[in-house]
Amino acid sequence: MLEQRHTASGEDSRTLWQRIRNEPRPAVLWLAGLVGLLLLEAGAIIHFSLQILSAVVTAGLGDGQLSIIANAVTASDQIPTLLSRETIPNQGYWNGQRWVGTFLGLSPAVSWATRATLIYLYSFGLLWWLWRGYRIYRDRYRQADWTPRDDQIDRFANHTWGKFGLFVVISFLIMALFAPALGPTTFVQNIQDPYEHQIQYFNDETSTVESVSVGQANLDASSRGNPDQNVGIMSYDRYDRFHPVGTMPLGVDLLTFLAYGARVSLFIGLSSIALAGFIATALGLITAYYKGAADLITVVTSDSVQALPVIMLAILFVVVFQDTAIAEFYSGAVLLVILFALVYWPYLWRSIRGPALQVVEKDWVDAAESFGQAPRAIMQKHMLPYIVGYLLVYGSMSIGSIIISVAGLSYLGIGISAPMPEWGRAVSAGQPYVASVSWHITFIPGFLITLVVTGLNAFGDGIRDAIDPQSETSSGTEEEVTTGGTGA
Amino acid sequence: MSRWRYFARRVVLSVPVLFFGITVVFLLIYAGPIDPVSAILGQQYTPSAAARIRRNLGLNQPLWQRYIGFMMDVATGNLGQSWVIKPGQPAFQVIWNFAPRTIWLGFWSVLIAIFIGIPLGFYAGLNPNTGGDYLASFGGIVWRAMPNFWLAVILVSLLSQSEQIARVIGLQFSWSSWLVTTDVVTPPNLRFFSDPLGAIRSPQQWWIIPGSDGSFLAALKQIIPAAVVLGSASMGNEMRIGRTAVLETINSKYVETAKAKGLSSRVIVWKHVFRNALIPLVPIITGEAFLLLGGSVLVEYVFAINGIGWLFFQAVRQGDLPLAGALMVLFIIVLVSINILQDLLYTIIDPRVGYDRE
Repeated sequence: MLEQRHTASGEDSRTLWQRIRNEPRPAVLWLAGLVGLLLLEAGAIIHFSLQILSAVVTAGLGDGQLSIIANAVTASDQIPTLLSRETIPNQGYWNGQRWVGTFLGLSPAVSWATRATLIYLYSFGLLWWLWRGYRIYRDRYRQADWTPRDDQIDRFANHTWGKFGLFVVISFLIMALFAPALGPTTFVQNIQDPYEHQIQYFNDETSTVESVSVGQANLDASSRGNPDQNVGIMSYDRYDRFHPVGTMPLGVDLLTFLAYGARVSLFIGLSSIALAGFIATALGLITAYYKGAADLITVVTSDSVQALPVIMLAILFVVVFQDTAIAEFYSGAVLLVILFALVYWPYLWRSIRGPALQVVEKDWVDAAESFGQAPRAIMQKHMLPYIVGYLLVYGSMSIGSIIISVAGLSYLGIGISAPMPEWGRAVSAGQPYVASVSWHITFIPGFLITLVVTGLNAFGDGIRDAIDPQSETSSGTEEEVTTGGTGA
Repeated sequence: MSRWRYFARRVVLSVPVLFFGITVVFLLIYAGPIDPVSAILGQQYTPSAAARIRRNLGLNQPLWQRYIGFMMDVATGNLGQSWVIKPGQPAFQVIWNFAPRTIWLGFWSVLIAIFIGIPLGFYAGLNPNTGGDYLASFGGIVWRAMPNFWLAVILVSLLSQSEQIARVIGLQFSWSSWLVTTDVVTPPNLRFFSDPLGAIRSPQQWWIIPGSDGSFLAALKQIIPAAVVLGSASMGNEMRIGRTAVLETINSKYVETAKAKGLSSRVIVWKHVFRNALIPLVPIITGEAFLLLGGSVLVEYVFAINGIGWLFFQAVRQGDLPLAGALMVLFIIVLVSINILQDLLYTIIDPRVGYDRE
């Protein structure tokens, strides 16, 4: 690629905009591709942004101010979106000759598989396009020929185990993000208000199309361990609904349940680690820069927090706060976010303390101090970039522990309140049927947790090897302790 | 800083740690949004009973006075009493009655993890990049990522149905009647321990054939599945660290020197590699205590072992908050003591401590 560069390295003082004007073709093509990809999902993007806007406005102004935004949200549903169940419906019935109501008259199974495959293709395609954009920028438009970050990224790109982790993590993200479109049915219809929704089906005896409430249909589609009452993996129930990974004991579609459960897990994991990471970074920079008393106080506090048994504290915490207002946000997920942020920051702080202490000894920090830069600027500009990578390593591993803990709590019946799906609750619901034909109810959620946690660990390993190639030969003791999990 | 001064500093620093932990517990239970009295009484709420409990718990005093009283009680070893689970019994007595089964479980899970995890890790480290290494390493990674409660649920179901499953593959096997007859999900009967002399006097009853007091073998067989599950995360950790530690030691200069001297690989492995590779495993083994205490709630719940983890969950669920608080305080004390023990081990095993560690 280097020979294609039109500029002599190091001598280039033009702005990015000038460089693009000089050679517009790759940038324009890339941008056109991006716009095209985003247009396919325009409806979903607008809908999503408006929903966030309305949530913000509700929080700021209270109800009543919302009619315009509410109308806009409703109107945005009309914008065609490629990856939605309206475009590719999978709910239909067999009228004796052909499928009615499904995508192109295909069977519900094929329709659903088409939609799911498209969702994954689209998402990975979009990400690949963004990656390509980065490569174009780096090869053609960036001022610097080379930055240390390039080496880290290239090392990660050659790290098979890390890439496997990234693949698993992205698949999990897509599952959570596209939960409404990925499941064969929706949360509201299938889980929250099943008796307020009707579906049509073809009654073989009377040869007519009849309708039945989803709640009733669910009861007839339950999986309870005996061959007469089981809707297993890749099978239809008697109302011609397709269940890719079977149903639960009360007839709820397991994949829909799992997809929404992924959302909750992801929300809790990401938010609490973001919050904990923020606390840890701030403290890590301050303690490394000032040392002394600040460091000592933080050491003692973090030791104290780490001496608390996490699962037991969580059980006590959730029960004590169960009737407060904060426990009502997102079925209790916000409460868990606060808890895990408060419990996990010491682990993250420990992991960045060493690197932060090393960075502060560097000459460039000294130099910045000597020409009078403010401590805050030194920390943000000259220290932060070197410790963010470590945060990513331990953050991704800690998310795994948090996902397991949350699932463990909901297995015990606390934490995330029903009907909001959570993977641990599926494990618990299927417990009586593990060694029967309905084994899927317990097995699949647990398998998914194992897969996601393995993926997060592999991703963390990959990043660690990328930012710190020597780490493989140095002792990995400390970090193993910090990511040892909670025992859930 | 000398080694022992380092150790002394760690011990002194653990005092504020204890203080903090116990304060958090106090605040959660007595200053949190839930009223301990109505939690205790639940459906049977009457004003007179509430007033009695309120007086008994000292809830009429201001918060700071209660806090000082609570701290003094903990310092003098008084953990209060149970109100719902065993009304009127001192909390310490209740915990004492439930603890043996958890200790039995914890003992075996540590032992199994050590005796499977470390040898596997050392094997992988001594034969790096072979098929066996990859299998062991990958197995360890996945094994570590599995949620304990899920593993426990699967194991319980498989063991309860072992007869039907064995028949499918043409075998005659039933876990519950294998060696000695036991149930899969019941607490182990540990009463045989109250008669330690029985181990010599009537060895058959004590060790093997379970009578009304149970036997060693029966109790062991009942605890093994739970212990394997509870030790799973630690087993994976020990394997990984063991592998890295061996790899690191084997590539170090003194091992090269030993090789150059012409020592046999047996002596090198056992005398030089093995001992040094054990050092980084110390925090892993002591760190297991955290996993065990936390995990015991879920594992004991699934296997229906009424140990202290199970007791804690029941106490929280049934509103016996004073008992739950007492358990938390006890756990924190145990964890801090284990941390001190870890520092002591470090100080003894690793002469470099205090030099490169702060």
